[in-house]
Amino acid sequence: MTRPATRTGPAAAPDTAAAATAPASAPVPPAGRRPAVPGALWPYLLIAPTVLGIAVLLAYPLARSVLISLQHYGMGELIRGGAGFAGLENYREILRDGEFWQVVRRTLWWTGINVVLIMVIGTLVALMLQRLRKRMRTLVLSGLVLAWASPVIATTTVFQWLFSSRLGVVNWLLVRLGFDSFQDYSWLAHGPAAFTVLVLLVVWQSVPFVAITLHSALTTVPTELFESARIDGAGDWRIFRSITLPVLRPVFGLILSLEVIWVFRCFAQIWAVTRGGPGGATTTLPVYSYQVARSLHRYDLGAAAATLTVLILIAVLIVYFRQMFRQEAEL
Amino acid sequence: MRPLPAPMSGTLRRLPLNAGALVVFVLCVFPVYWMVLTAFKPTPDIQAESPVFLPTSLTLEHFSAAVDADGFWSFWRNSLLVTAGCVLLALAVALGSAFAVARLRWKGRRGFVLMVFIAQVAPWEALLIPLYVITRDTDMLDRLATLTLVYFMITLPFTILTLRSFLTAIPKELEEAAQVDGCTRAAAFRRVTFPLLAPGLLATSLFGFITAWNEFAFANMLIIKNQDDRTLPVWLSSFSNVFGTDWGATMAASTLFALPVLVLFLVLQRRVATGLAGGAVKG
Amino acid sequence: MKIRFIPTAAALAAACALTACGTSSSGSEQASGPATLTVWIMKDSVSDAYLQRFEKDFERQHEDTVLDIQIQEWDGIGEKITAALASKDSPDVIEVGNTQVAQYAQSGGVLDLSDKVGELRGGDWLPGLAEPGKIDGKQYGVPWYAANRVVIYNKDLFAKAGITSPPTTRDEWLRITEKLNRGTTQGIYLPGQNWYTLAGFIWEEGGELAEKSGDQWKGSLDSPQALRGMDFYQRLQALGKGPKDSDEAKPPQADVFAKGDVAQIIAVPGGAEIVEQANPALAGKLGFFPIPGGTAGTPAATFTGGSDLIIPAASAHQDAAYQVVKSLAGEKWQRDLARTMSYVPNRTSLADALEDNEGTAAMAAAAARGRATPNSPEWAAVEATNPIKEYMTAVLTGSDPKKAAKDASDAISKTLNS
Repeated sequence: MTRPATRTGPAAAPDTAAAATAPASAPVPPAGRRPAVPGALWPYLLIAPTVLGIAVLLAYPLARSVLISLQHYGMGELIRGGAGFAGLENYREILRDGEFWQVVRRTLWWTGINVVLIMVIGTLVALMLQRLRKRMRTLVLSGLVLAWASPVIATTTVFQWLFSSRLGVVNWLLVRLGFDSFQDYSWLAHGPAAFTVLVLLVVWQSVPFVAITLHSALTTVPTELFESARIDGAGDWRIFRSITLPVLRPVFGLILSLEVIWVFRCFAQIWAVTRGGPGGATTTLPVYSYQVARSLHRYDLGAAAATLTVLILIAVLIVYFRQMFRQEAEL
Repeated sequence: MRPLPAPMSGTLRRLPLNAGALVVFVLCVFPVYWMVLTAFKPTPDIQAESPVFLPTSLTLEHFSAAVDADGFWSFWRNSLLVTAGCVLLALAVALGSAFAVARLRWKGRRGFVLMVFIAQVAPWEALLIPLYVITRDTDMLDRLATLTLVYFMITLPFTILTLRSFLTAIPKELEEAAQVDGCTRAAAFRRVTFPLLAPGLLATSLFGFITAWNEFAFANMLIIKNQDDRTLPVWLSSFSNVFGTDWGATMAASTLFALPVLVLFLVLQRRVATGLAGGAVKG
Repeated sequence: MKIRFIPTAAALAAACALTACGTSSSGSEQASGPATLTVWIMKDSVSDAYLQRFEKDFERQHEDTVLDIQIQEWDGIGEKITAALASKDSPDVIEVGNTQVAQYAQSGGVLDLSDKVGELRGGDWLPGLAEPGKIDGKQYGVPWYAANRVVIYNKDLFAKAGITSPPTTRDEWLRITEKLNRGTTQGIYLPGQNWYTLAGFIWEEGGELAEKSGDQWKGSLDSPQALRGMDFYQRLQALGKGPKDSDEAKPPQADVFAKGDVAQIIAVPGGAEIVEQANPALAGKLGFFPIPGGTAGTPAATFTGGSDLIIPAASAHQDAAYQVVKSLAGEKWQRDLARTMSYVPNRTSLADALEDNEGTAAMAAAAARGRATPNSPEWAAVEATNPIKEYMTAVLTGSDPKKAAKDASDAISKTLNS
């Protein structure tokens, strides 16, 4: 379904811009002038540092983590060593905990609502940026970067203030607007309200990245493309569909999957604002695994929860992985 | 409705757009504004009964408290070293991989991309303990280089994937045209593709910068005994004590903390603009 | 060209990383020359001046050691101490909170100091500090100092309301606080989540936070006694504008009190200094009294907060580290601590050091009834998520106390038994 569209974007370019001067030619083999390294080796040399990095800094620690999840591993074992083998006991302990499944459902809901809001708002802002005049665009871009670049610790604190019950700006504003029930309202004492505050915080922190990246992607399209399309009589909607959308699609898919990953794994904000409360209303998987793992120093349970988290996340993303894998075959 | 004179109608037509832009701007900026404003407010005003939106009296005491805090400058230097090291390393490594994936044809490419993708899902919070154990057993604790490498790995998959999509979005044929004009492949890449890639490089390096600049958990656990090697996020948390948090100083510190990222963006933005305006796309 | 470009950039980046590495490898001195002892002290636990005096004095008496006193931040301290205990080259002495020490003692990463208890005169150590440092009959943590909460009051506001002497019973306390709570004056600023204070009220009623029967812990906030403690908290809390959903640190209650329209706060006496710093006009106008109990003359039970000192098993200089602990826990520096920092010394026989200061005298009066949190290595985990705070906010914002107490107790039981 998506395949033809993906091809039209980049492939459309030479028709209008470059193709006139460049009759399609087979890529020149890069090794032509440097016989020391055969051309076929170049891709492998180029990816070697990445592969090495992933193997040493990621795959190996990950393997250690899985090993920990199969052991009895607490603070004592971390300090003294000598962890005993536990088999799948840690996994059984987590899966038997009724709270775990509740947390999984909550995490999926949390991820869904955040990601939808982030993507919709982010895309709208990016499209808006494209149509703004230069000065206005710089203004909005600066605002976005400001929000994006501010340290999470600081903005999380500020949000807590804005929503604080007695001195918070939000309650003050709502009361001014006539919602008297918000006088001294404790946002963080009520499950749904606390959840809402966290969603607002995460959306606020994430939209700038989406908007800026999509905007950057749009600027890689040579302006001639838009101009010539307009000369050809294409309307706004048509330009959006046949130029903007195809250009955005790969980046969009990437960002979407990244946001899913990030929101799913979001921890610092939740921990700082609610610690998973009230009554567990904001306990998502990472918060849960922190509670069982690091507060209790049960690193084995934490590792098991991490393994399960990764598996769930991959299951959520599997559709995207498959689609991407298929696309790769054609490039 | 009578048709308005042309310039007026243009302005009017742009009104909803500009209004929307302003709303976005205000929503983005207000919390940050509140942070900076708090940094300048005298302490009694910070906990005022009704919010004070415009400063009445300003003070620099919080900033001096923040700058006078122990080790401020060495934390600053450490963060800069680690962050710059991480970003440069990630960009260099990722550019190679992204190029190989987007422009070259080789066996195992699909597998490689999938691997990079799955690397995105890495549960970094959970890897804290295994990485600590590995670092300890290889005598790499208390070294900024270790932190640099960890941050490099955290940002690398993202950097590769974004650069790759930016590269894919740039028509390969532009490069080929340059090659026909007599450029080597490398020169074609450098002169034609690289400038077009600038916004992508900007976005990804900003991402890497922010990630490394903000990271607390690894910095807290991998730098133990060498106090002088701590980074800024650790410093940022240093205004809390048993009696509560000195919010004024925290906000002043946060302001100083956010500053380099903003400066970086402003500098890069101009370069990106000139790169684009340089007419790399002559066709 | 491309071929050269990428490796150059990589080399550049690698060089950066190497520079970073180079600057960091200051390393630690080993055997030769004087031994450098690293001592970790928590931020704001004692003053810089005190530490400097101690360092100078200690180095004069032990010429073969150099002290490197490092101040630790509160954020992430649990992970950091764990990492330190597990490392090969750990700090030599670490200050840990008395509610946290049990978990480290249990981990096996801390030196057993049982045979030094006699030499350190551990016979009359404050139980609130000594017990958490002791696991299975072995003493790992050495008590350092304690502080318990008292009421700090604004003498001017008391005088204006016609109150001439501090209350001596709880009923009287409620009565005068109500009287003070008029117009713009807050009778008491008590945030909804000051759970150390609630713990005192619960103990005063005869309740417990959690009880152990056999080897099972059970959270007991839902006992009738504990519920009475919460009820008293609620009545007191209503006599001021303390936020129901945050603790004494958010916003810092010293800053709130410093504005001058709050008649009382509950804090450790050292808090008065912070208030005076924030508003010098209040200097000399702050009074102290112990939290009143049920009957006149007996202060209420209170939570004993404080610190223990531990020596990591991985310390390379354990004997020298013990000398540091011995000095810090010894009479000379304990008296200095009481005098300059307004802390309760680690031994009851040193309590006379507190008499000449109004704040510390109030604290010493209550210290006799000081209590610690349930003695379980898992208690630190309860504090990390803190269902008690959540419970308090729920009750104060109108939830059914019994149900909320049951939920919180279940959460505590679950954590303590895992």
